[in-house]
Amino acid sequence: MLKVKDNDLDKLGLLFERYKKPLYGFFYGMNKDADLSEDLVQNVFLRILKYRYLFRGEGDFRTWMYHIARNVNHDHFRKNKLKAKDSLEHWQERLGSDENRSTEYQKDEELQLLSMAMDRLPDDKREILLLSKFQDKKYKEIGEILGCSEGAVKVKVFRALQDLKAVYKELEKHM
Amino acid sequence: MSTERIQELIEKYNAQQADPAEMKLIEKLIEEGLIDIAELHGLQEMEDQLVRMDLPQPSLKLDDTFYHMLAEEKRKGNGFSWKTFFAWPEFAPRLAFASVTLLLGLAAGFFLRAPQPQKDQQIGDLRQEVSDLKEMMMLSLLEKESATDRLKAVSLSEDMGQASQKVTSALLQTLNHDDNVNVRLAALDALKPYSKDSKVREELIRSIGKQDSPLVQISLAELMVEMQAKSSVKELEKILHNENTPTDVKKKIRESIQVII
Repeated sequence: MLKVKDNDLDKLGLLFERYKKPLYGFFYGMNKDADLSEDLVQNVFLRILKYRYLFRGEGDFRTWMYHIARNVNHDHFRKNKLKAKDSLEHWQERLGSDENRSTEYQKDEELQLLSMAMDRLPDDKREILLLSKFQDKKYKEIGEILGCSEGAVKVKVFRALQDLKAVYKELEKHM
Repeated sequence: MSTERIQELIEKYNAQQADPAEMKLIEKLIEEGLIDIAELHGLQEMEDQLVRMDLPQPSLKLDDTFYHMLAEEKRKGNGFSWKTFFAWPEFAPRLAFASVTLLLGLAAGFFLRAPQPQKDQQIGDLRQEVSDLKEMMMLSLLEKESATDRLKAVSLSEDMGQASQKVTSALLQTLNHDDNVNVRLAALDALKPYSKDSKVREELIRSIGKQDSPLVQISLAELMVEMQAKSSVKELEKILHNENTPTDVKKKIRESIQVII
């Protein structure tokens, strides 16, 4: 990333290749919209390019990138808050197609259930679990992204996991 | 808190018997790092499953748009743009460098400049030398036999601006004693600017009686009118009484005396 900062833009291609999948996974996990997730990944790299001189090189690049990703996600949903409320039909459409998608990707029944349980969690809980997944449970770094202590992250993860477990069990009963 | 109590809490949680107060306590212990999430039944499995959970992959369209954006950015980076030139993080060192260079230049100029009074002194000296040289040349030319050279000398004195006393007395000498009428007339012309000087004025009046050339006499009479020199009337009357003076000259002088009085 430091090379990108010094205007060696080819190196951004390497970063893109390394992080496009987890980043896309993070956005997809958050909004379940394939096209939108691609747009948001693109936006993250656009911001990295635009604000590359702000990267101080002290912390981990991945942490910085997820920090930007969160902002991109929040900005997008803040802008589209009203639109999202209006388009109930669009939501129904999306939910339908998502079910098809999840069967496509989650062959394993358990994982399919988990994915459905994740979708039913509130945004903040889903976000912390996705960050935990893509940051390899490095709670200190997640704390840097969210602007809180490592201990606070652990508690958030604990609560989110508990909720996830509860929803999962509930879904299991209905299956 | 004792390890036994912590263990007891974990067991209660795993048996799903923890009450809300105990749940709060467990959260606190997790925050402090005294309980690991992995120890709590069911949560570790959930987290592991989450890690295994596959998410869809981005399409090739994402690669296309990204590399297109990168190429665009590189193209922009190669071209010059005022916006990037003035972008603060890059502009700041440039500005600093420019300011330091400017200050260094000003400082160098300040220390390297020649002291002003000395320079003025040098120019003054040089000017003095040149006018001394002109003066010397003029004086030596006045002594030449050739009338042309002497005329040159007189015209040289006209270039001098403020001539010294030496020059004016040399010119007066020429006016009174030169053989050539033209040279004398030129000397008279050259003396005109100094007619306000009382010494030159006196000498000019005295010179009237010494002239025998009608042309010089008339020129002198005209100069006296210009100078409004009343003391010259006596000298002019002498010319009038002289029998050798031509009638035309006498007439002109009479007119001049009328104007002066």
